[in-house]
Amino acid sequence: MKSLSPRLVPLTIFVAIYAIIFVVFASMSSAFIRPTNIVEILRGMSANGIAALGLTFVIITRQSDMGFPWVASLGAMTMGHFIASGYDVPVAIFMGVLVGLAWGAVNGIAIGLFKLPDMITTIATGSIAFALGYLYSNGDSIYDNFMTSGILRLNDARFLGVRLPIVLLAAFFLVGWFILDRTRFGRAFYATGENRRSARLSGIPVQIYVIVAFCLCSAFASFGAILSSASAGMADVRTGINFLMPAYVSVFLGNAMFGRPSAGATLLGALFTETMIDGFTVLNVPFYYGDAIESVVLVLALLSSKPELRDAFRGLFIPARSMVGGGRL
Amino acid sequence: MEIALSARGICKRFAAIDALRDVDFDLRAGEVHALLGVNGAGKSVFVKILSGLLRKDAGQIVVAGAEIEIGDPHQAELSGIASVQQRPELVDDLLGYENIYLGHEAPGGAEFQSFDRGALERRALSLSERVGLKVDVARPLRAMTAIERELIAILQALSSETIRVLILDEPTSVLTEAEKGVLFSLIRNVKAKGVGVIYITHRLDEVFEIADRFTVFRGGRVVATDVVGRVNRSGERIAELMLGASLGEVYPAKVTRPGDVLLSAESISYGGAFTDVSFAVRRGEVLGIFGLLGSGLDELSKVMYGDLSPSDGRLLVKGDAVRLRNPKAALRRGIFMVPGDRWAEGLTPTQDVAFNITLANLSRVSLFGGLLRRRLARKTSAKLAALVDLQPPDTWRAAATFSGGNQQKVVIAKGLFTEAEIYIFVEPTVGVDIGARAKIYALIRELAATSAVVVMSSDCDEVFGLSDVILALHKGRLTLDAPTAQVSREEVMVAGLVGQAGRQAL
Repeated sequence: MKSLSPRLVPLTIFVAIYAIIFVVFASMSSAFIRPTNIVEILRGMSANGIAALGLTFVIITRQSDMGFPWVASLGAMTMGHFIASGYDVPVAIFMGVLVGLAWGAVNGIAIGLFKLPDMITTIATGSIAFALGYLYSNGDSIYDNFMTSGILRLNDARFLGVRLPIVLLAAFFLVGWFILDRTRFGRAFYATGENRRSARLSGIPVQIYVIVAFCLCSAFASFGAILSSASAGMADVRTGINFLMPAYVSVFLGNAMFGRPSAGATLLGALFTETMIDGFTVLNVPFYYGDAIESVVLVLALLSSKPELRDAFRGLFIPARSMVGGGRL
Repeated sequence: MEIALSARGICKRFAAIDALRDVDFDLRAGEVHALLGVNGAGKSVFVKILSGLLRKDAGQIVVAGAEIEIGDPHQAELSGIASVQQRPELVDDLLGYENIYLGHEAPGGAEFQSFDRGALERRALSLSERVGLKVDVARPLRAMTAIERELIAILQALSSETIRVLILDEPTSVLTEAEKGVLFSLIRNVKAKGVGVIYITHRLDEVFEIADRFTVFRGGRVVATDVVGRVNRSGERIAELMLGASLGEVYPAKVTRPGDVLLSAESISYGGAFTDVSFAVRRGEVLGIFGLLGSGLDELSKVMYGDLSPSDGRLLVKGDAVRLRNPKAALRRGIFMVPGDRWAEGLTPTQDVAFNITLANLSRVSLFGGLLRRRLARKTSAKLAALVDLQPPDTWRAAATFSGGNQQKVVIAKGLFTEAEIYIFVEPTVGVDIGARAKIYALIRELAATSAVVVMSSDCDEVFGLSDVILALHKGRLTLDAPTAQVSREEVMVAGLVGQAGRQAL
């Protein structure tokens, strides 16, 4: 039997597992495989996926961000506020993303420069962002001017016949992949995460890379929340809240399958996650079951990225030699 | 005199290497016995066997007339052997006396048994009184100074009623001179109670001050045991014993064509680590700096590479005074450091060799400031891997999968890729087998043909064998600065071990 190229093995495993869950959902509901639903999976994936891509940068530098969902909510509310106040759509989007960027910079400086613990810091700063989100409207949803300003086109417009959110998703991941895989900046992110000391001694400004990672995480999450708001037709203080689990599942599922976090791994992780979310919705599974199952997947992903388990698992498919350096997407 | 512990024919092998061969050792009750030897001589392996951290392959250990088997640290403790590690592991959040009796709070020692804090404190106080020590054991450990921590760790070791042997592993490495006095008076008290003390140190002056006898290890064997009072205080005899015959043949021939000065230091200092250090290194030569752990060598290397800023004095690159704000600035000035701890500082272990080799100068293989030219990067790294004789020469393999010597070659190739003109090697052959060692020495010499090289090491032989000009650092001060051809190995060793005083006595 001809053996597979080591790089293709994880991809093959992914396709196989994905096919299985796809067939299971399809067999349980005919609505699942309708073309409109397939488009819906991709469209729904855009917001979560872009947030997960931002998180990928933070995970690559071996940090954690627990606060980006709340920051994303603030970003969406900021955008809503500017729309309601009559500003142009690009200005409103820009302001929403800018708030996210600023929050990320605060996180990055606190964690990268002042060495505060990442989880606790981001929970604290995220909580502040969440509280500030209420200030625009006392916590009410904002939908003034949403119908007339054109913000809805962010969700509805088509580019070459493809829905804009899907185009944006593809564009973000393309750029993310390019930066991480094809530029020296990507190398620096990986080097910073894996061995900060050696990265510094190699002349890499590691603190800057940590700061940039947190900036991208919060800014991307804010943009994701803005996409969600355009789809919902309103900005709500809870918009970003649901990013947490899907984003972590996407990144760590990808990491488990491909051996390291990367844009491509996160994209496939996000596809997997979104398919599950969508499948549960189509089957009318209560959301709390969905959350629980996602969490189980996350724990399984974490378990399977343990080297000991991983080697045992991989040994089933590929000879030991090709394990090194393989699985990079 | 009564023998507290005796070891006969102790052997220990790690893979193909004899770490200990037929070691015989006697410790008398009530003596301080210093263990001496260069890094890797076997003294640490020996005390690890005594304290139950390693198991011996052969031989017997007798304590108080009975042969014992030491399988783990607990058994060592039951046999009356207590040890204090170089950096004692204590619990910062607990009080001093809670630390002393950690795990032994109540007789019987059941996990969930309640215990009486007052009784514990009284026990700790009477213990410290017994050894004549004034230390406030009721304070939290985090509020304690280095010496107080050391004393708590020693009290912890002494807390067992049956103690016969106390092992101290370089206890003074973090202490000041005054604190050392406190420690030594404690050791004298412990000794007076009939406990035998095994004292590991690199500092000969301490041996003369506190030890009654000494044993020198070399290459896994005991080469001498003698009474301290019988050897010359210059330490020359001990240095000879520690070094043994020269391994001259692994070092490449010295061909130097000294050119212009590339890197120099004008009386630089860093905090309390080193003071008033000056040197100059030229293109075409190797400058060797010998210094032990705690001599300031580590800090000096970091200052030279911009990882720390000197508190005083200045560095000059090609005659221009420079302020190196970080390693990046040093790299830009053409300096590259091969760090001493390659695992923690030199490598990105799970990434492949090509990633590692190109990391310190990625712009060399980038277009438009950022886009990686991956084929060029692969080709250039393959060329450098061949140049440093990487085995196996697979640049796609993760750095972690290589042997220590080959990992070091990867770091050297990484330096070559930066096209630096000044190379600093810190402990270049720690954890490197003898074959790869010769290759690395040859590479260092080759580098010196076109650039300036500084070799900083705690291995006296290595510094002596490689350098054209040699310096020794002792307690943060230069104690030797001479062309290598004009000094003997023993002189270098003494300068690093004992400092100026030893040299004058020579």
